[in-house]
Amino acid sequence: MSDHLENTYVWDPVVRVLHWALVISFATAWGLGKFGPNQMTLHFYAGYTVAGIVVLRVLWGLFGFHTAKFVNFVRGPKQVISYAKTLPLKEPSRSFGHNPVGALFVVGVLVVLAMQIASGLLADPEDYINVGPLAQYVSASTARKALSLHEPLSTLLLLMVVAHIGAIFWYKKRKGENLVKPMVTGYADLPQSKTAGE
Amino acid sequence: MRKLLISTVIAATAATGAFAQSPSDTAKARRAFFTLVGFEMSTLGGMAQGKIDYDAELASQTAQDLMTLGGYTITDLFAPGTSNDDLMGETRAEAAIWEDMDGFQEKGMAFYEAVVALNEVAGDGLDALRPAVGQLGGTCKACHDDYRASDF
Repeated sequence: MSDHLENTYVWDPVVRVLHWALVISFATAWGLGKFGPNQMTLHFYAGYTVAGIVVLRVLWGLFGFHTAKFVNFVRGPKQVISYAKTLPLKEPSRSFGHNPVGALFVVGVLVVLAMQIASGLLADPEDYINVGPLAQYVSASTARKALSLHEPLSTLLLLMVVAHIGAIFWYKKRKGENLVKPMVTGYADLPQSKTAGE
Repeated sequence: MRKLLISTVIAATAATGAFAQSPSDTAKARRAFFTLVGFEMSTLGGMAQGKIDYDAELASQTAQDLMTLGGYTITDLFAPGTSNDDLMGETRAEAAIWEDMDGFQEKGMAFYEAVVALNEVAGDGLDALRPAVGQLGGTCKACHDDYRASDF
């Protein structure tokens, strides 16, 4: 593998805008849910925004740009394990797009977000002002189940965010790789060999 | 001696009379009470959210009913030994209520004050009703968050 690095286009604008829009809307929804006013109108709007982002990201994962498509980055257990073995190494991964372990996170966070959105839409806290818009179409026990999932899922999502940020620090400190910059500019320094086979 | 015995029995009966209801009965009555609160609240919530047409008379009457319910002494509905730890599957009232009665009563007071405020404006049109219902529903949420389990 040559060490010659080229400024390579990795993340298309849709992926980048959706990523940072998710950061803002998720933080807003989470913060308002935990610490916001008892009349949760803004939490609902933030949640709808998250829902829109998740739907668009899934569509983009099916029909979008190369690195955005699930088929191009979701990998089987063999590749996940072999990539995971390189995680402790003190050298950059130089991945073109999501690596096989990161792919697990992408799919995982989309699934948990979808569950969180569904539980919010179906939840009925019986305060007659913060009722999920779809709660009226399900049984009271389903609406209670949704309500009881909504908070634990928010904790799980927080842990996932912490893990995500932790991974970014790990890549920066241990592997000397800046993952934030490409998510802003769209470009990463990659060797030709990484992209040629794609 | 016999007299003393009889009066002791009577006194004991009187003392336990207040606890003649089983904990399950208490939980059942408590849920019935909150079912009534919720029934009235759903009318007002429906109006505030435009699902039911605003009707000044109905709104005032409903607010009045909540006032009546707000005047109900709920102490006996929250008899000790009736939390969801004691009665699994029968109630969602958390033990935190009995561990923090002051905090719980504060939430109840906020509810009552919101009902009073609602009564002042319920007949004054939808624009006046809406924020008062929002305020009131917020006091429901605040108490549910701290003192009610989200599921049985």
